[in-house]
Amino acid sequence: MSIASERIERLSELAREAAAEGNHDRARRYVRRARRIAERNRLSLPRQFVRYTCDRCDAYLRPGANARVRLRTGHVVVTCDCGEQDRYPYDGQ
Amino acid sequence: MNVRPTTLPRHELVGLPVEVRTASNPAFEGISGECVMETTQTLGIESEGRVRQVPKEAAEFAWTLPSGEVVATAGSRLVARPARRTEHRGDSKWR
Repeated sequence: MSIASERIERLSELAREAAAEGNHDRARRYVRRARRIAERNRLSLPRQFVRYTCDRCDAYLRPGANARVRLRTGHVVVTCDCGEQDRYPYDGQ
Repeated sequence: MNVRPTTLPRHELVGLPVEVRTASNPAFEGISGECVMETTQTLGIESEGRVRQVPKEAAEFAWTLPSGEVVATAGSRLVARPARRTEHRGDSKWR
């Protein structure tokens, strides 16, 4: 694994810990740093990272704390406290 | 997460316990804690409940790796934009 992908993995863990402690600005900084590293090194971000971060405000999402998760037919809607909604499809039946 | 002494200057520094060994400003010497922030020229070290911003260029740092090893680095080796630090040597297919 390259250093860049190790850094991304590490930053997402750090962002999760910071968000759990309520340091949302710090978590946001780590999320932005991870995105920047992925961009510069042409890596795709891990799926968990994509689904647990807000596209608009870069917050690290913790369902129940700063994000709402609701099921609709065929997709999940994750709403960030900033108002951004992300929809992820799932296979029914 | 394999931060090794050889990869440390290119790896993620945030999250590692660090101590300031020497610094041109004596007020920075002996600061120890977890690194929580990095900019091009400085490191933010959380110690005693606040974040101390230490210039990289003028200090020498001792890092404690997850394996328990302690690695000393001259701060001048770390001066770079945080996301670009990884690209300075090796690894990339493009140079």
